[in-house]
Amino acid sequence: MSIVNHQSSIINRLQLWSLKKSVWVFHVNTGACNNCDIEIVNLLTPKFDVERFGIKLVGSPRHADALLVTGVGTRQAAKCLQEVYRQTAKPCVVFCMGACACGTGIFEGAYHVAGPVDNIIREVDPNAIIAYVPGCPPKPQAMIMGVVKALSALQPKEKYATERVGQTVVADPG
Amino acid sequence: MQQNELDRQLSQIRDRLTGIDRKADNRIFLPCESEHVYEVCRFLFSELGLRFVISTGIDAQDCFEVLHHFSDDESGCVVTVKAFIRDREVPELDSITPLIPGAEWIEREMHDLLGIRFRNHPNLQRLILADDWPEGVYPLRKEVQT
Amino acid sequence: MTDALQDLSWILIFPGFVFTLAVGLLASWLVRKVSALVQYRVGPPVYQPVADVMKLMGKEILIPQDAQRTVFVLAPLAGFSGVLLLSTMLWLATARITYVGDIVVAIYLMVLPSLALILGSSASGSPHAAVGASREMKLVLGYELPLVLALLVVIIKTAGLVEPGEQLSLAAISRHAPVLSISGLLAFIVALLCVQAKLGFVPFDIAESETEVASGVMIEYSGALLAVWRLMQAMMLVALPLFLVVVFLGGIDLSGWSLLWGIGKYVLVLVLVILIKNTNPRVRIDQAMRFFWHYCGTALAAAVILAMVGNYYGIAWL
Repeated sequence: MSIVNHQSSIINRLQLWSLKKSVWVFHVNTGACNNCDIEIVNLLTPKFDVERFGIKLVGSPRHADALLVTGVGTRQAAKCLQEVYRQTAKPCVVFCMGACACGTGIFEGAYHVAGPVDNIIREVDPNAIIAYVPGCPPKPQAMIMGVVKALSALQPKEKYATERVGQTVVADPG
Repeated sequence: MQQNELDRQLSQIRDRLTGIDRKADNRIFLPCESEHVYEVCRFLFSELGLRFVISTGIDAQDCFEVLHHFSDDESGCVVTVKAFIRDREVPELDSITPLIPGAEWIEREMHDLLGIRFRNHPNLQRLILADDWPEGVYPLRKEVQT
Repeated sequence: MTDALQDLSWILIFPGFVFTLAVGLLASWLVRKVSALVQYRVGPPVYQPVADVMKLMGKEILIPQDAQRTVFVLAPLAGFSGVLLLSTMLWLATARITYVGDIVVAIYLMVLPSLALILGSSASGSPHAAVGASREMKLVLGYELPLVLALLVVIIKTAGLVEPGEQLSLAAISRHAPVLSISGLLAFIVALLCVQAKLGFVPFDIAESETEVASGVMIEYSGALLAVWRLMQAMMLVALPLFLVVVFLGGIDLSGWSLLWGIGKYVLVLVLVILIKNTNPRVRIDQAMRFFWHYCGTALAAAVILAMVGNYYGIAWL
């Protein structure tokens, strides 16, 4: 996926390395039942110690590299989520945490749903980098694995023959 | 108050109700017609001193039902007033908010989602639906498909 | 010419920009590592602060529409340069290159990072930043006076001890260790808490409280400007404990084994700051002001009286 915009150079590789080693997260709830939110807060406690991966919780989206989005996107929250995404300094990764965020979960077809989170984000930015962590709620260990896999899948631009716009990236363990 | 005591008290307003159903040891249903709701709730709240818990709105196929739940904290019994609204075209009910201020928001929510208009409600405005939700579409009615 | 070149190399390389930056990043790693160990967990690796700063340099800079652009961009640079000069001056003072009145210059330079923070957040055009700015202002009002009073205690104590004809400067003060007396100890404890507030650490991180005002003062900063703020905070971790060591603990003697002892003193002050950080909750702004003005003020008044009495009667341990 295209994350840096110029030819591969030492600056480029350093940028990518530092982005992988230091991910600052910001938590956004777009109408969740709070189960996933509780698990995210569990994740950030000393028991799981995500600080050794460089992950830190920040209070402002402008400081964030990753948005942890929970909840199916309700109509009210969709506009707020788009605004938060625009305020996040690029390059950034959007993590959809939980079954509701990945694809509306049990709220399929309900009256208050404005689309799963990736549709809402792609309205604003078709090239957004989105990672999916399913589960109801996903265990903190699953969230860590999701974050680590997504980060290790980041590549500088010219590793791909063509640009893949709007496609999901599946981390390839092989 | 004890079970017998509660039964004796409730028999005082027996004429306003269409029945007294004791479904379980701690569950009593008082079905009544929509005209008498305010009086029954006033009796339960002011004279018997029960605590208002929450309300429920149901779209039964031929009528609307509004349930007001009251709790008798001493015996752990929940007394539910079940009001039937027979008119499906213009569903209206007397609001119990002038009596119990805590019922204001749940009645607004029932108005948003089922379209039941509460008479004498001090502030019957949109509460939980989105601002751009179309007026007059009540999502929890059976005929609304999403 | 060589004089100017020497001054420039002092400011830019050693002991100025490059040296303070390196030590500052190491110190901020130490803060996170010790906090992690106190919480029974493994902390970040050694290169973590470097990775943080490099990542921030690579992100885009977003300037809000309502922000006052010039002040918004220049404020972090102003704070950064203030801390840089302070650190250079303190290191030179330990090397006995000093001048009369550098204590006053040190006090002025120490206010500069807080002032820059207030200016930068006021220029952000956001209500959260405005709340953060007002809290930072009140906090500065709270701790500046006790800090200066603590310095006054030190000056009173060392005024009696300098040889006639010698100027009272940081180098002269750092030859004595005022902490080995009651008034000096009181002043050291108060100054340590004031430094805790200036560094923006718990229990006084009211201005940048993440959960309350969404990281108030720095909420609108991103990218390279945020990196400058973080670098400023890292360098403050070098300058301010060093200031405490120079003024209270007898300075760093740059020769042989005393150098290790001096560095040990600096690490001791840093660890004290970290332990206070990890064992306390955040206080409200009114509690903080009451703490600094009532309790610290009373303690320092007693310390000043004890110092003057000790000076007059020649009792060293008062």
